[in-house]
Amino acid sequence: MDRATRNRGWERNERRPRVFQFSESNPLSPYLFLIPHAALFLLFTVYPIGFGVYVSLHRWDVLASTQPFVGLEFYRRLLDPNTVQFQFFWKTLLNTLLFVAVSVPLLVGGALSLALLVNRPISGRGFFRAVFFAPNIFAVSVVGLVWRWVLDNQAGLVNIVLDEYLGVRPINFITEQPWAWLSIILATLWWTVGFNMVIYLAALQGIPKTYYEAAELDGASTWAKFSHITWPLLSPTTVFVVITTVIASFQLFGQSLIITGGGPSRSTQSVIMYITEEGFSNFQFSSAAAMAMVLGLIMMLFTVVQFRALARDIGMGAKGDAR
Amino acid sequence: MLTRLTRLVVLVVALTLTLASGVVAADKVTIEYWHGFTGPDRPLMEQLIAKFNETHPDIEVKAQAIPWGTMWQQIPAAVAAGKAPDVAVANEDVITGFIARGAFAELTPDMLATAGIDKNRFYASLWNTGSYKGKDYGVPVHSVALVLYYNTDMFKKAGVDINKAMSSREEFLKAMQKLTIDKNGKHPNEPGFDLNNVEQWGTMLPLPWMGGCIFYSFLLQNGGRLVDDDATKAVFNSPEGVDALQFLVDLIYKYHVSPANVTEDGSIAGFRQGKVATNFNGVWRVNDYLNQEGLNFAVAPIPKVGGKTYATWGGSSHLVIPKARQVDKKRQEAALKFIGWITQPQQNLFWTGAGGLPTQPVVAQDKSFDNSPMKPVFASLGNVFATAGFPWVSQVRGAMDEAVSSAMLGKKSPKQALDDGVKLADQQIADAMKNIR
Repeated sequence: MDRATRNRGWERNERRPRVFQFSESNPLSPYLFLIPHAALFLLFTVYPIGFGVYVSLHRWDVLASTQPFVGLEFYRRLLDPNTVQFQFFWKTLLNTLLFVAVSVPLLVGGALSLALLVNRPISGRGFFRAVFFAPNIFAVSVVGLVWRWVLDNQAGLVNIVLDEYLGVRPINFITEQPWAWLSIILATLWWTVGFNMVIYLAALQGIPKTYYEAAELDGASTWAKFSHITWPLLSPTTVFVVITTVIASFQLFGQSLIITGGGPSRSTQSVIMYITEEGFSNFQFSSAAAMAMVLGLIMMLFTVVQFRALARDIGMGAKGDAR
Repeated sequence: MLTRLTRLVVLVVALTLTLASGVVAADKVTIEYWHGFTGPDRPLMEQLIAKFNETHPDIEVKAQAIPWGTMWQQIPAAVAAGKAPDVAVANEDVITGFIARGAFAELTPDMLATAGIDKNRFYASLWNTGSYKGKDYGVPVHSVALVLYYNTDMFKKAGVDINKAMSSREEFLKAMQKLTIDKNGKHPNEPGFDLNNVEQWGTMLPLPWMGGCIFYSFLLQNGGRLVDDDATKAVFNSPEGVDALQFLVDLIYKYHVSPANVTEDGSIAGFRQGKVATNFNGVWRVNDYLNQEGLNFAVAPIPKVGGKTYATWGGSSHLVIPKARQVDKKRQEAALKFIGWITQPQQNLFWTGAGGLPTQPVVAQDKSFDNSPMKPVFASLGNVFATAGFPWVSQVRGAMDEAVSSAMLGKKSPKQALDDGVKLADQQIADAMKNIR
């Protein structure tokens, strides 16, 4: 036994490890590190979810003297075609899914395309990066108002240009489908594509130049370089971008609320909008809580499925995992 | 250890008592006041509060301006927690719901007397918006209404007299036809009218909420109602309702005096740009139009198109006393004094500078209004009715707006749209009734 080891042994025997001591000898150490986050997580995530479950199982109203237990009543309504809740919850969920299905590929593909463009040594690329990212800093209310005014049926810039300069009949962007959806998707794209672009840009800059040089020596075409080097090496980023974008798109709210008000005939009302209406306009808190729980479960399911599906494609990451 | 703690407690208690007695000695009551006047009306409200504090040395009103939507979320929680303000403002669309759920205290005749409030001083329909089941809960502080803005140049040019145009359905339609002109100078009731090249519209009927306000006015004019006597069933699909909506739809698709698919923004912009002769909107829009260079306009009560009576949609804000766990007599008295003072004619007159209408006839007679663009609508202020008076206003109003929109967009016939709307409203009323107990 050398001196160092003996010394440590000696110390261990002499000094009783204290509960809050960060050291390898303290078995609580990892948990101590987790406490700061865990406390916030419990307070702001676990507790509200638990309270949400409680609300959804009772006929809850903060002003009422009693909060009678109703069990799964509000969940049952979501499965009974005769209720308003069934009709609008699933309708607005389908609306939201449609939005996710259309907007996510655009937000991911568009971001990647933009990132590839501004990653090239073109003049003024710093300017373009800033321009594409800039709309992100706006609040959704600003984005919604700007696009509502630009696309207004009568007074919008686009329609005035169409009508007075191009001689084309104005388009009812706000009150007719599929234009109403187009308006919302356009606004969303303009607003958030820059964020995904920046993430892709960072990932692109992390790909070693040597790979491309080697490929060029082998005479690889631009497409071959993209499909064999860039795309596979970006796959962990793509997983991240897709999952966060899907979650963000599921939470569609402000754009619909401000641009179309959910119309025409609730066709652009998102599920979060409907839950808000049920809770804060109709004061059906329990019903809204039940819907929020179901939506949460659906989103979780989506995320798991996506993660499974996409993680398989992650070249480097998954293989490096050695399992 | 324990003795030290006891000593500390005694010290703290003693200190608190000293401080508290100091407050009592000054004899000043501090009350909390929540309101949602966060726009251009905020400075006026703050000036009123400052003036009250100045003239009432024994009361200090501490005001908080909270956006309406946030306030509706906070009031129930604050009342439940016993931390509600002493005075709050509730608008016509939520007040009855809060009353039914037990959020506000009744203003008994005794309390109103303490506050020096005579309810007969106010417009009856406005006062009644703050009442429920024969009891009073809110004192009107702010009132708005739907009016008709009209372009005086266009009316002159077309030779249309506004009073005549607003007097009946036929006259209104005739005026709108005269004021709708295509690029060849033809009117929609003339052969060869080119619907695709209209230079000037008679009106623009906007969706969805403003359209709902217009429909509601015409429904009441026809003698129709939103809900039945005990407010448990929606009845806006009555023949009166169908007739009112059919007229709106006809203005668009049959008489072509308004384009289809109009947004509220579009109707406002069209009026400002001088492309539309009339504009249905609230009195709060007046400053936008006054600031529009080259726009010569005036204000009129909305047309009388219904067969029974005259009525107009309106909105209002009411001062209420949220329920406290334990009523503090002193604070309640101070709150009542404040409510009484701020709803006095003099204060109401000052407040109308924020774009509201007089809440009481005596204010409407004030000389200072003689040059006001709103003066012409004052005579009809007794006929302003809010979509209010029952606890599930937003459920019924939402279903109604949706029905009106789908008919005005040409998606459903008026009858079908209103039937669907009533079905939706009834289901939501049934849900809401279970929650109010």
